[in-house]
Amino acid sequence: MTFGSIDRRKFIGTSALAGAAAATAVNPGRLRAAETVRIGFLAPLTGGVAAWGLPGLYGCEIWAEQKNAAGGVDIGGTSYNVEIVSYDNEYLPDKARTGAQKLINEDGVSFIEMLGGDTMPAVTPIANRAEMLVSTLLPSDLSPDTPFLVAPAEVHPIYNLTGVWWMAENMPEAKTAVICAQDDALGRPSVATYLAAFEAHGIEVKDTIFFDIATTDFAPVMTAMLAHKPDILCLDTAYAEFVNELCKQAFVQNYGGQIISCTADFYADIIANTSEEFMEGVIFQFPDFDDPALNSEGINFNDPNGFFQVYNERHPGQWGAVSWEYASILDLWLDGAQKAGSIEPAAVLDGMKQGGTGAHAFGEANWWGEELFGIDNALVGNWPVVQIQNGKAVIVEFKNIPEWWGEHSATMIKHFEAMGEMWYQRA
Amino acid sequence: MGAVTYAVWLALIALSLAAAALALDPHLGGPHRRRWWQGLALASAAVLALSPHVVTFSQQELLVFLTINTLVVVSYRLLALTGEFSLGHVVMMGFGAYASALLSKQFAIPVPLSIILAAGLTGLVAFILAFPLFRMKGFYFLIGSFAAGETIRLLWKAFIGPKGISRIPGVPDIEIGAYEINFWEPVASYYLVLVIAAVSIWILWRIEHSHIGLTFHAVHWRDQLAGAVGVNTWRTRTQALVLASFFAGLAGALLAHYLTTVNPNRFAVHEMVFVLIWVIVGGTATIWGPIIGLVTLTAINEVLLRDIGYDELRPLFYGVLLVLAMLFLPNGLETLPARVVRRFRRARPLTSQG
Repeated sequence: MTFGSIDRRKFIGTSALAGAAAATAVNPGRLRAAETVRIGFLAPLTGGVAAWGLPGLYGCEIWAEQKNAAGGVDIGGTSYNVEIVSYDNEYLPDKARTGAQKLINEDGVSFIEMLGGDTMPAVTPIANRAEMLVSTLLPSDLSPDTPFLVAPAEVHPIYNLTGVWWMAENMPEAKTAVICAQDDALGRPSVATYLAAFEAHGIEVKDTIFFDIATTDFAPVMTAMLAHKPDILCLDTAYAEFVNELCKQAFVQNYGGQIISCTADFYADIIANTSEEFMEGVIFQFPDFDDPALNSEGINFNDPNGFFQVYNERHPGQWGAVSWEYASILDLWLDGAQKAGSIEPAAVLDGMKQGGTGAHAFGEANWWGEELFGIDNALVGNWPVVQIQNGKAVIVEFKNIPEWWGEHSATMIKHFEAMGEMWYQRA
Repeated sequence: MGAVTYAVWLALIALSLAAAALALDPHLGGPHRRRWWQGLALASAAVLALSPHVVTFSQQELLVFLTINTLVVVSYRLLALTGEFSLGHVVMMGFGAYASALLSKQFAIPVPLSIILAAGLTGLVAFILAFPLFRMKGFYFLIGSFAAGETIRLLWKAFIGPKGISRIPGVPDIEIGAYEINFWEPVASYYLVLVIAAVSIWILWRIEHSHIGLTFHAVHWRDQLAGAVGVNTWRTRTQALVLASFFAGLAGALLAHYLTTVNPNRFAVHEMVFVLIWVIVGGTATIWGPIIGLVTLTAINEVLLRDIGYDELRPLFYGVLLVLAMLFLPNGLETLPARVVRRFRRARPLTSQG
């Protein structure tokens, strides 16, 4: 993407600097940052999993631009400009390893944001040796072997229980479910979570169908699901294009019940491929940030509505589950760095975990995870339940995950063990 | 990125093109042909030995993966010599990776031994697969190899898990007096895989130029005639598949112990597509063709396009380059030097007239 001979990132960076310079001219009291802190972004920007990488990079660039325009970030009495350095790992371990080496040894980053999953085992030894702070969106990457890895934004797949919980309270007539999932590191722990949540709320799971990530024809998958005549179709944590195809098939095969999914990325496209009536009431977990509920007290994401507006102006139609998440991790990193008064990774980690709590985007949360992941490096608190109403994603309620865990932790651990997903069961 | 890095990549491309030019034209170099080969070998050895010391840290990583992939594409070409294109070669690589990982991690077999055993096991699996697969030819073999590969890959998922295996032991360090070679470092690993790849390529080259290699060609171009004169075409194809799989398994095992992790998606069909592209763009007439394709496309994809900040658009450039290569160099990049020389020879009389 170019503007004349300037590429997009240079354009954004230049615009940010120009904005900062203009702001300094208007307000002489505000000085331009003297130093630069570099943040690595190591996620899939191309390929089948790019929908969970690229939109997040856009969000981080907006976050950095806003901070820089405001004069940079103040850490330990020094003002820093923030620079995002990205590397496309294509969701492949060898590319992730190369990218991690480049970001740490050549670009001198102070923190690396990752999607995680298949790419994490290749990066963990490098991060451990370099004592580099790394974040993941997938807490199932966490284990006692990953002391420098944190999951501060998304506690995938645990938050999926909130959708089932809300559904059980508000749709008591829905009593049976069928789950389908891609057979991979994202799909399996998510299935364990849904199985636990359905069991905890008295919903019978008629079948669980795994499909390979190379699947292109979803008609047989959907036919097998609908053969059970379920009240609830659970699409698990399917990749964006799979959710789209599965919804299309459910529509074509005249399904009329409830749908629940972890994500519904680019849901406007799904509605265009099916109908507004068909998608009405679909439950998932990722809000649009223009939602009025995000302006309530306790939300820690800075100006969510403004962020959403800028994002959609820059990247129309690109808003997805991860658009805000990587940016919200930057908020937590900044909070940790300011508490530590340093950008040194180990000090920032201590700062982030100070007091055992953190300012999660959806409210104050606890560092947690020992029972499931063997290490308390996941930040857990409230999570929104989102429903499509009149063609628009709407937050219907925030649910508190620790509250659910207090009552049903044994059920969750049972299903994680059955799926071989406990940290001590990993190969 | 520095000019030196680009110079290294350009040198690697130029050397492989020169080797292909010499291999394709038996008259090139005339009476000094042997000296040309010797000079090329010396220059290649110098560039390959020095390159990790002049490129960046991440480029050193890239050189390790490039060298492992060299083994994959050159072994793939051996099977292609019999006229059969497989879609399961990357899965064979994966089999070597999984086998070596399990042998070293679950059974505590020393890593060097597990690598060799894994390559042997991959050859054995290929031998077993040859019974159903070589009941088919051409397109049917292609689809059959895809189905067999997917079956193996899905078995890994079912029995080992979709996350694969992590915390695989690496190649053990070597201590020579006060000097310690740590294979965690990319430079040490690069030299290790370079030596293994060089020996493997030499073996593959010897096989191609032996009696067995000639029967591979015979089976490719005239399989019924070869059969009529006593060549066992099934056995010949099986030999090619087993040998190609052995070296693919070796490459996979090296990858597993360097990355310390393997997972089934790394060996899915989209990775096989990259191998096919490298081989097709480079050409299959000489052993250098696939190497030219691999080095050129890796340099463009992983060095040039990343360096100028076009991460997200790399698949598009890759596609365009493939289409252009197919349109203008249908026999592969390896024929480029010969075409340039021909054009130059045709143009020279005109220039002298002018």
